[in-house]
Amino acid sequence: MTAISYYLSNTKNEVIKLKGTFAFWLTIISALIIPLLFFTIYLVKHTKLIPALGDNPWDKFMVNQVQNAIPALVPMFIVLITSLIIQVEHKSHGIKHLFSLPIPKWSVYFGKLSIVIFSIITTYIYFFLAILFFGILLGMFHSDLGFLDFQPDYMKYIKMLTMSLVGSLGIVGIQFWMSFRFKNFIVSLAIGMTLVIIGLIASQVPESIYFPYSYSVLSISLGDKVPLIMGFSSITIYSLSCFVITSILGYLDIKRLNVK
Amino acid sequence: MNQLIVNTKKLNFSYTKTRKDIENLELKVPKGSIYGFLGPNGSGKSTTIRLLLGLLKKQSGTVALFGESFSSKTRLKSLTKVGALIENPSLYEHLNAVDNLKIAANYRQNIPAERIEEVLDIVKLSHAKKKKVKAYSLGMKQRLGLAISLLSSPELIILDEPTNGLDPKGIIEMRELIKELNEKYGTTVFISSHLLSEIEKTCTHVGIIRNGKMLFQDTVKALKSSKGEKLMIDIEVDKFIEAMTVLEKLQKENTSLVDDFLQIEVENKEEITVVIDALRAQNVKVYQVSIKNNLEELFLSLTEN
Repeated sequence: MTAISYYLSNTKNEVIKLKGTFAFWLTIISALIIPLLFFTIYLVKHTKLIPALGDNPWDKFMVNQVQNAIPALVPMFIVLITSLIIQVEHKSHGIKHLFSLPIPKWSVYFGKLSIVIFSIITTYIYFFLAILFFGILLGMFHSDLGFLDFQPDYMKYIKMLTMSLVGSLGIVGIQFWMSFRFKNFIVSLAIGMTLVIIGLIASQVPESIYFPYSYSVLSISLGDKVPLIMGFSSITIYSLSCFVITSILGYLDIKRLNVK
Repeated sequence: MNQLIVNTKKLNFSYTKTRKDIENLELKVPKGSIYGFLGPNGSGKSTTIRLLLGLLKKQSGTVALFGESFSSKTRLKSLTKVGALIENPSLYEHLNAVDNLKIAANYRQNIPAERIEEVLDIVKLSHAKKKKVKAYSLGMKQRLGLAISLLSSPELIILDEPTNGLDPKGIIEMRELIKELNEKYGTTVFISSHLLSEIEKTCTHVGIIRNGKMLFQDTVKALKSSKGEKLMIDIEVDKFIEAMTVLEKLQKENTSLVDDFLQIEVENKEEITVVIDALRAQNVKVYQVSIKNNLEELFLSLTEN
């Protein structure tokens, strides 16, 4: 068997395991909360939200939603989804079973990590599509809002969301390692949530550029003023480095772990 | 029966620095045997199983599976031939039995789809295959766990306390299943238990462990004969003093009174009727006579301090 087939069979199994779990539904619910909230507000108060003549309504509609969702909700969602996905394994006493199977341990660790990242990407896509869907729906209900008269600047928002996603990967690496290590779901969740709150507070100081839990806030608050490293956003570089380092260290730690 | 499927030499392991949990363990499991790994709770049975499967890192000694030293290099090759059920079966309770088996089959690969139906049939769960596992009884979960370990038709099945928490019917079914696997498919079965009666009824070989040390290891037959041919019997009578006098006349010296029962040793079953006749001849009423399990006594004497 090749490395690819080990990896694929693990990832395929992770998809089956998610069937009907809360983690699966969370990817959809989390993506819908903010767009649904904005849809309701626009629907109820549409007279006050009619844009000035010639203004593209999508700008305000999308920017507000992204700015509301990313700083606090994205890191909290990542902490929760990572803990929940690995909890499926801990709850079924699965780690001892997986590690006694004739499959390499790396395929277990990275197969599961892939499904966590895949779930997060899915939520970002659902979020983007939900904003578009509810905007079009608002345009159909209230044509004076102008949603059907203008096109959203797709690339601008895809870029914003991609930056946020990459900026969140550092947290994914840390949370994944922690959730794998501690059987008790509360431990990784509590530590993660505390770090998210610290990240929100710490984002006020420039040194927060070295703290992955602040990257979601910084990607919004700094905008284009993010310091660059070799032409790339420092948040992107630091977050990716944190992800790669914690994923490798996490795997090495799990590999030598005594499974009791 | 000469080839050893599992063979450990001077195996040592400690969870803490203050205590040795496994000490110089020499485990010898012959091919085609049903090996009972017996010991009281906390004696090191599960730890040994985890060491055999590489879930724990041994501190010294060797583990060989199928005649090959178990290491990170040989791990995948050796585990291909092993099916294991370690304590509580690892089941995804929000899924049904078929999904659980599909997951296990995907991990092992090269397992045909019809094998899922076959193993469900072997463990008699075909009727409940579409039911979510959370609705299963403990016995059904254990059987599904066994089905997962059977999926790859392994040469060796390791079962850690498979009858734990099962009702009497479940225990009998599990016992029959283990015997069938061994007889029909020639599978070597390594089964751990703290219940002597289980091992006695199911196994061909036995290893007795206490505080991480092997106290006895041989065939079940050898264990039984090591206690000698004599039988220990309990007799319930109405008049103890008269009964003792009768037994003295029969030259039964090792007589004792335990919990309102007279306890004596006889040479064979024939002698039991001689004792009863002698007691009845002196008008001593005999309410019941039972043969004590010698093996149980031996087990207790071995495992108690």
